[in-house]
Amino acid sequence: MSLLVQGLARLLLAPILMVAFAVLVKGYADVGDGFAAGAIASLAILLQYIAFGREQTERTLAIRLLPAAAFVGLLSALAITAAPLASGDPLLTHTPGAGTEPIHLGTLELIGAFAFDIAVFLLVLGATLGIIHAIAREAERVEGIEPR
Amino acid sequence: MTLIPALAVGVLFGCGAFLLLKPDLFRIVAGIVLVAHAANIALISSGLERGQSPIHPLAEGPVSDPLVQALTITALVIGFAVTALLLCLAYGIYVSSKTVDLDDLSHAEARDERELEREEVSV
Amino acid sequence: MSPAIPLLLPWAAAAALALADGQRRLVGWLAAAALASTFALLCVLAGEVFTEGPRQIVAGDWAPGVGIVLRADALGALFAALSVGVLLAAFVHELLKGGQGRLFPALVLFLCTGLVGLFLTGDVFNFYVFFELTMIASYILAAYGGRGRELRAGFVFAVVNLLGSFLFLLGVAAVYHVTGSLEMQAVAARLRDAEPSAVVLIAVFFFVAFGVKLGLFPFHFWLPPVYASARPGVAAMLSGAVANVGSYGLLRFGADILPAELRLGAGVLLVLGTASILYGALQAVSRRSVSEVLAYSAIGQAGYVLIALGIGGTVGLAAAVIYTIVNSLNKTLLFLAIDLRGWLVGAAFVVGAFSVAGVPPTAGFFGKLALFQAGIDEGSVALVALIFVGGALSFVYMFQIYQHDFWRPDASGTPPAERGPRSSLALRTPTFAVAAIVVALGVLPEPLLVAGREAAQALGAIAS
Repeated sequence: MSLLVQGLARLLLAPILMVAFAVLVKGYADVGDGFAAGAIASLAILLQYIAFGREQTERTLAIRLLPAAAFVGLLSALAITAAPLASGDPLLTHTPGAGTEPIHLGTLELIGAFAFDIAVFLLVLGATLGIIHAIAREAERVEGIEPR
Repeated sequence: MTLIPALAVGVLFGCGAFLLLKPDLFRIVAGIVLVAHAANIALISSGLERGQSPIHPLAEGPVSDPLVQALTITALVIGFAVTALLLCLAYGIYVSSKTVDLDDLSHAEARDERELEREEVSV
Repeated sequence: MSPAIPLLLPWAAAAALALADGQRRLVGWLAAAALASTFALLCVLAGEVFTEGPRQIVAGDWAPGVGIVLRADALGALFAALSVGVLLAAFVHELLKGGQGRLFPALVLFLCTGLVGLFLTGDVFNFYVFFELTMIASYILAAYGGRGRELRAGFVFAVVNLLGSFLFLLGVAAVYHVTGSLEMQAVAARLRDAEPSAVVLIAVFFFVAFGVKLGLFPFHFWLPPVYASARPGVAAMLSGAVANVGSYGLLRFGADILPAELRLGAGVLLVLGTASILYGALQAVSRRSVSEVLAYSAIGQAGYVLIALGIGGTVGLAAAVIYTIVNSLNKTLLFLAIDLRGWLVGAAFVVGAFSVAGVPPTAGFFGKLALFQAGIDEGSVALVALIFVGGALSFVYMFQIYQHDFWRPDASGTPPAERGPRSSLALRTPTFAVAAIVVALGVLPEPLLVAGREAAQALGAIAS
């Protein structure tokens, strides 16, 4: 890939991840969602794949573990769904309940829906990266490059 | 106002159906994608109301319907997963049969059937 | 017992086991344990629902129209327990046979989750989500194995059923537009006052979607290649558990939410059911390969359910439920039995064959009896004759398979039961268990008949 694309990819990684995190964080009260955040973050990593190729991008341990993190995200989402059952409320009841003030981190409210969004973000990111990894490996196999 | 979404659904579904009838695996996948998007637009247009954001309406007046948007994003995610699966299946068929043309594939299928019948008869 | 627990258990187990390597014995047995626990929980839930009445929870503690409703009534709990039982038998069979891939246990658990979710939900769009989860898991399972034939069959399966799913989604969009609600009971109430032409269109969308799933006559083209080329355990799962989605959908969306349209379309249902029975039976008689015969038999049996629905009324709906249960058990038994070799396997196959043909002392006799009763109630000689002819044809093709696979020795003089490696006793156990249940229900049919009646009455109760 040309020098321009590689330079831009290196520069854009952090800002795109920042945008994804912003979309995730404002999701419970504004336009945004765990799914959209996961899609944007996986776009950032896809850009790295295109610019630098599969082996160099996957040298980071974190990226190699992310497809498995999809199922960790699914399990956390199920745990958050089932957590109210312990105190007798039905599934997916909002924590904290209506009328109580949640814990604030600056202007960010730490509520159950936010944790659920993070779990969905992990799920989508892991799933998309799994697909990208499989396609990249298959493309290399077809071109005759030895997978390392 | 519901005429335009209805026309959009019709055009998308028609193009999708046309592609589904083509003898090429990847055109079939493209046809399914178009049909999926036709269904998504039908879903959005089932709750068309121009109004305020329902979380915090600032004035009197109509409020837009958030449920339909939630339904649509769910349907979009399902469509995305299903498209990925179909593409993997189509690619697998291409790798194993070296062709994506449906006519060639049906010849291969007929050959498999004849071999099966030969095994059954000899047994 | 809340309906949420049998839903969350297999889901969490699927997510956890997807991280592990499914080829190891421990992971497979953990998945079987999860399936067995889900089955036990669903039996307890069904028992509670049959004695105490429907159970309902609303997610998020909202009011029923605002939050998603999980509702276990007689029909849903019965179908859920039946389908997970079938999945358990087929999965244990595949596990003992060995040779499955890394993700096989997790996929079966996801299939279980989707089935439990769609049988226990009271919300139309939630039904669509779990329906898609079930179907995606079954597309992957049908194409498992990876060679050309499975992949082609899996592709056809996926494309045709996806079209059905998207038609269902169009129906859901139409329902929301016409009624403004997604909760099944509210939808049923509001559709009664809605404009008739719109409701007929919605009914047609739902009928086509579930007809594709069940394999009814005009929509059956995907069924033979898929059932014939899938592994026997997977074919048992598809025909014994996933096909139930079609019957349940027709019962729930037809008899429950759109009862007036069901009566309106009764003639069409009867015609299509007749066509399915005759087409399936005649094709089955002419085929040579065992799995193809069973696949065409599945098409035929779906026609019986449609005829029972067309007859309608409490008797007809009860007959539809009973026949679906019997058909599900039959197909599981037959698909698993043709994969085995050894002592008494032929007997298990004969039990299944008699059940399909409707010969006592098997459960199939009471299924056919319920249909005869419904036909006589309707006063139609043609229907009774049709059911009888269908039963006779099923007897013919079942006998053909038995003769070909279990009786007649091949060129070298070995009887078919000795051909190939003998299956271990453990491998034969799930098949024998299902055969024992079929015979037990044939001798003591009371649970079956009560189940059918209760489930049919649950439908009438909601609509009126």
